[in-house]
Amino acid sequence: MTLRHWIISGLLLLGDSHISLAEVVLGQAAPSCSLSKIGGGAEKKLDSFKGQVVYVDFWASWCGPCAQSFPFMNQLHRELSSKGLAIVGVNLDEKAADAAGFLTKTPAHFEILADVGGSCPQGFGVKAMPSSYLIDRHGVVRHIHLGFKPSETEALRKEIDALLLEAASTP
Amino acid sequence: MLKSLALMVRRLAAGDAAPRSASALHRFMGRQSPAPPLIPPTASESPALGALRAAALALPGLMAQSPEALAAPGDIVDLQYGSYKQTPWQLLGGLKSQYNPLQVDNIEANGVLTFSDRWKFGFNYAQDTWSGATPVSSAPYAFGGNNPSAAGASPLVRGNGTILYDKKLTAFRLDPNTANYVPDNRLVQTVASASPEIRNQGNFRLGYEWDEAAVNLGGGVSQEPDYNSAFGSLNGRMDFNQKLTSVNLGLNYANSDINALINPLYSPYVDQSYYAEKGQIDTIPNASGAPGRYLTGNRQDWTSHLSVAQVINKDLLLESGIGFTRSTGYLGNPYKAVDMVFVDTQGTPVPPVDGSTLPPLYAPQVQAVVERRPEERNQGMWDMRFVQFVEPMDASVHGGYRFFIDDWGITAHTFDIDWVQPVESWTVTPRFRYYSQNGANFYQPYFLFQGKAPQGPDGRFNLAGVPLDAYSSDYRLSAYGALSGGITVARPIGKAMAFEAGFEYYAHAGDLRLGGAGQGSWSNFDYYQFNAAVKVDLSAISTAKLSEPEDHAGHHHHSGDHRQQHLGMDAPSGILFNHMLADEGDTMVGVRYAYALQQGGMRHGTGSATDQQIVAQGCGPSLKCTFTPKEMDMGMVMVDLMYAPTDWLTLMLMPQFMSMDMHLRRLDGSPDPGGGGHAAHGANPYHATGGVGDIFMGSLFKLYEMEGHKLHFTLGFTAPTGSVNQRVDGNTEFEHYGMQLGTGTWNIWPSLTYNGYAGDFNWGGQVSTNAPLQNHNDSGFAFGTLFQTTAWGGVQIQDWLSGSVRALYTFQDSISGNYPEPFVPSGPMDTPQSYGGQYLDIGIGLNASVPSGDFEGNHFGIEWLQPAYNDYNGYQLERTGTLWASWALSF
Amino acid sequence: MILKVSGFFLRLSLLVLVSGCTSVQPWERGTLAKPHMALQPFPSQTALREHIYGSRESASGSTASAGGGGCGCY
Repeated sequence: MTLRHWIISGLLLLGDSHISLAEVVLGQAAPSCSLSKIGGGAEKKLDSFKGQVVYVDFWASWCGPCAQSFPFMNQLHRELSSKGLAIVGVNLDEKAADAAGFLTKTPAHFEILADVGGSCPQGFGVKAMPSSYLIDRHGVVRHIHLGFKPSETEALRKEIDALLLEAASTP
Repeated sequence: MLKSLALMVRRLAAGDAAPRSASALHRFMGRQSPAPPLIPPTASESPALGALRAAALALPGLMAQSPEALAAPGDIVDLQYGSYKQTPWQLLGGLKSQYNPLQVDNIEANGVLTFSDRWKFGFNYAQDTWSGATPVSSAPYAFGGNNPSAAGASPLVRGNGTILYDKKLTAFRLDPNTANYVPDNRLVQTVASASPEIRNQGNFRLGYEWDEAAVNLGGGVSQEPDYNSAFGSLNGRMDFNQKLTSVNLGLNYANSDINALINPLYSPYVDQSYYAEKGQIDTIPNASGAPGRYLTGNRQDWTSHLSVAQVINKDLLLESGIGFTRSTGYLGNPYKAVDMVFVDTQGTPVPPVDGSTLPPLYAPQVQAVVERRPEERNQGMWDMRFVQFVEPMDASVHGGYRFFIDDWGITAHTFDIDWVQPVESWTVTPRFRYYSQNGANFYQPYFLFQGKAPQGPDGRFNLAGVPLDAYSSDYRLSAYGALSGGITVARPIGKAMAFEAGFEYYAHAGDLRLGGAGQGSWSNFDYYQFNAAVKVDLSAISTAKLSEPEDHAGHHHHSGDHRQQHLGMDAPSGILFNHMLADEGDTMVGVRYAYALQQGGMRHGTGSATDQQIVAQGCGPSLKCTFTPKEMDMGMVMVDLMYAPTDWLTLMLMPQFMSMDMHLRRLDGSPDPGGGGHAAHGANPYHATGGVGDIFMGSLFKLYEMEGHKLHFTLGFTAPTGSVNQRVDGNTEFEHYGMQLGTGTWNIWPSLTYNGYAGDFNWGGQVSTNAPLQNHNDSGFAFGTLFQTTAWGGVQIQDWLSGSVRALYTFQDSISGNYPEPFVPSGPMDTPQSYGGQYLDIGIGLNASVPSGDFEGNHFGIEWLQPAYNDYNGYQLERTGTLWASWALSF
Repeated sequence: MILKVSGFFLRLSLLVLVSGCTSVQPWERGTLAKPHMALQPFPSQTALREHIYGSRESASGSTASAGGGGCGCY
């Protein structure tokens, strides 16, 4: 009786919290998101970046690896924005003040937008923090990266370079 | 320096030829990159300097900006100090123990480093210093076991004539005032001293992190004179449900060897036959020829643990676990004994005093026996913890319960609750804990039997006749409860440092046991504990550096101000308090190492001293010296921690760790040293001491600054955290004054420092004094006042390298006071007059600092101080020189 | 008696674990990521205190080394 107790409880525990999200699949169009500036303000849709290679990074002030990724993204922005790379850091903090504090310590030279409400990460099916999605010039999701590790930056750079070389015009 | 070492090891591990394939194994093990090329020497350098430069900068990536140099979140280095002090035992009758209560000081350094993003290396070093008294057994108060007898003999007095029992086994004590026996069943601890001991422990772990799992392998050793332990551990973690659920599994094994000297004060009176028969008693003659009995044993402990942590909602985390431990072997405490008391109520009672109204009283037979515990112990526990966020206060509540049970009959409950409250930039955490256990089934305060003591054919006590398989009077196995409360405060310092301090008061009382019926108040004690730690977050340092505004060349704030800001950092390595931090919020950590060597001949004043002179005059007017030092070296590690709350004030904390050793030799023509002391070591004794030294705390004030010049004043104190109670061989004889680890006194250490630079040259000077604020320390003496003045000049050799030359004048007074009687000096190193003097040293040094790149902000220095002129007080060993080496990182 | 009580607590804890669960999205872990919400907010200090308790008390063992909770970052 007690053993069955244990097994059922264990299974319930593991099976519980199964989160079913809309998931983005490679090769599909990126979901359309409505974003705004931190602390509110004018809306900007993710579609507006079509024609550029978009690096969408979901981050928050409390996420350690996010702080590590910012200097790398700053470097990407400095070197590749003229070639058509748009980096969009989507902040998911519940309080705008937390995001502002983070940005004072770890400044971002790329565009920072916020998603109040959480529909954008839901749409993208974000599974981990941080998550980055590489969208090509036609708005198709081409690469998904979960987390940030400094040793992955070279591969990321290569992926971005390859996407930048692709033409924007519809074949 | 740690980071560069980490990088180097990581590069060596990665190798150059790792292919960049997408194989499953490769993905599993993380990406590996080839090492960037070495920087070739520039044309303007000499080949030798170029080679030095290339060697110094051979750590790949030093000059290039590479993200691989980032430390991962969670990479830290921390240093912690703890102090535990027990309150004195209640010995009844207004008696105060002649011994100090138990005190433990603990220092610990640990760190976690990440290589290749997924490999984690952790190391930990800890040192505990124990001193003071601990109970050897408990007994009826009537035994008088704690009364210091005139002969200084055994505390395990056998109650001769002081205690009697009636037919109902009630104890009767002889009242010294009335010379009558009164009923008194009270109990008391019998306290004996333990020699001061130092325990060192080092352990490491190596781990690998996947995205949702981790594995760690670790091991270590712990060493103290009577207990050596080696241990290993393996544990793993798996995450499920997008890391909302984590399962941890751990396994530990420890193998320990015990080799304990049974206190010679009571060894002859304690029955050791059980262990002697098992071959666990080694008899080794000690210095004076008396046999020392060592109880040896081995124990093995297997521990396993399984726990699950589950995120319940955005504000609540729960965790629960079970554990099982199996211990086998010698599980007892070699310093504990039990008193076995046999009352033969069938025998003849003691003749009563005329007119006495007392019942018939019988004289007991008492025998103290080394305690014995079962050779096996199976322990199980389960616990559960929760962490709940309290939104209105932005605080969190942590609580837990643990249930413990073992096959010795002990069950225990532990409840604890903490409230972690952020207040501005501080975090304040009050906490409570309640613990309750019931006693082991073989525990008794003492063992009372009805009947005659079992005797062997030789008429002596026969332990085998006692019908017990296990017996202990260790209060830790008794039934009691404990309530403790404490508070922790923490605060971040600068960008990447944090400071924590905590205090706790703990009360152990029989009454506090859950449900009552614990041991009586005689076994109560309290302790209080204080700890402080400084933690450096390595990933915050690297992120902060990479986030600083850069110019197009990738250099960080590299301007003419650079040298003004860092004025003083290029001062010779051997100068303490040489610079202030320039900006508000700046922090700095550093490690400085000094190695001082004395060897060669004995000196007196400015000339040499012959053995004859030392024998006749070195130990005072009436005593002849027998030994003299031959070689002495001292290693000191100082950790510098600095923080600037404003740009005119820098706060500094500097703990120190000392390690000293001395070789001695017999003096030619000296008389026979006789028994005891140094004679025990033969003709060439060797002594060593090591441990925590005094800690320095100070403030540096900027007095004057202009372009190219800076003057600052340091006001500092040292606290007597270093022991002055070091004894030779864990015995009773004091070590030589110079071998003590600290000063034992609060000292004031003010200094005035000037730094200047122009073009490629820099120079400076410092005047300082270090004076004790007390007449003498707990060991009866105080080191003499020290006065130093030094001046130096330096020149830039390259933009990253400079050299320096300096002169140092030192004056130190001799020691005042001396060790208390009955200390007998055996050589000049034992006399206060042979300390101090006047010295002039010449120093030559090099300083390197990394100007840019990932390692920007690291400074290294090295210096050799050569004695040029010495005027020694008394008779001292010649000074050969001092080597200083330092590293510092500002962030 | 003691076994019964502990068994009860064990089942209670499992029940709580199972029943109180709600799905927390990876980006909703801001509160859990706060340093004071860690299972062991002061690990060095906790280790020292547990070391002292272990030398004065008979019970031993703790979950001080457990991992879990926190920001859930990769």
